[in-house]
Amino acid sequence: MASELRVNTLKDAAGNNSIATSFVANGSAKAWINFNGTGTVAIRDSFSVSSISDVGTGNYDINLASAMANANYANSGMSADLAAGAYVSYESPAIITTTAIGIYIFTSGSAIIDNNLIAVNFDGDLA
Amino acid sequence: MASLLKVDSLTGVTTAGSISVTGEGNSTTTNLQQGLAKAWASYEMYSSDTIRGSFNVSSKADNGTGDSTIAWTNSMQNGYAVGSMSSENLFVCAQQPRGNAYNSVLTTSSGRVFTISDGGSPLDSNVNLITVHGDLA
Repeated sequence: MASELRVNTLKDAAGNNSIATSFVANGSAKAWINFNGTGTVAIRDSFSVSSISDVGTGNYDINLASAMANANYANSGMSADLAAGAYVSYESPAIITTTAIGIYIFTSGSAIIDNNLIAVNFDGDLA
Repeated sequence: MASLLKVDSLTGVTTAGSISVTGEGNSTTTNLQQGLAKAWASYEMYSSDTIRGSFNVSSKADNGTGDSTIAWTNSMQNGYAVGSMSSENLFVCAQQPRGNAYNSVLTTSSGRVFTISDGGSPLDSNVNLITVHGDLA
């Protein structure tokens, strides 16, 4: 049976480790994705991501399943290329909407590359 | 009315590993378990090899310059964890280090992480911060 619990604060049974439920909602990642950006792009695993688009070399759009409240949320990401370095960057000018972001993968030499491992997470307020 | 729930464990009723939480906008719901960070660590590589603070991290191995393996206490479900990392080296300002990951060594039990300079050379960094999302086993 489904149930709903309305509560302001959570504590462990001993009464310690208090945390407001607002921190649970605010502090949880709202989406994350791990995908292969080479060849035909493919999502390996994700949460609350509806799709990704291969826009061009090293350029991807990540579309969210649930909209954010505004475009002021935070992203962080990591990519993999030990030889050249690989960094996740916003597009410039930035494409950040309540339902999608556009990213580029750069090497340390500022070349734009497709990369095998791209991981991005989203923190902020849901709509 | 304020309320307080004292509990040691939260488990979903319909699905044990799935609890819905209403988001900040009071309409959309999000999955509690999937949204929680599964591990984080703040560690040093430059002057000593030390974990300053961590959650769900059992150990850190120094594999060489700029090369660390972070072991999770509780295993991930697959090797597709989502890590984000930032690093800084206050003592080598000319070489801004960057966090990086080497995909072939992301496993269910650990992640191998590299810090490299702007020039792409391995570099021990003073401040390294990593957060890991994904599904627990």
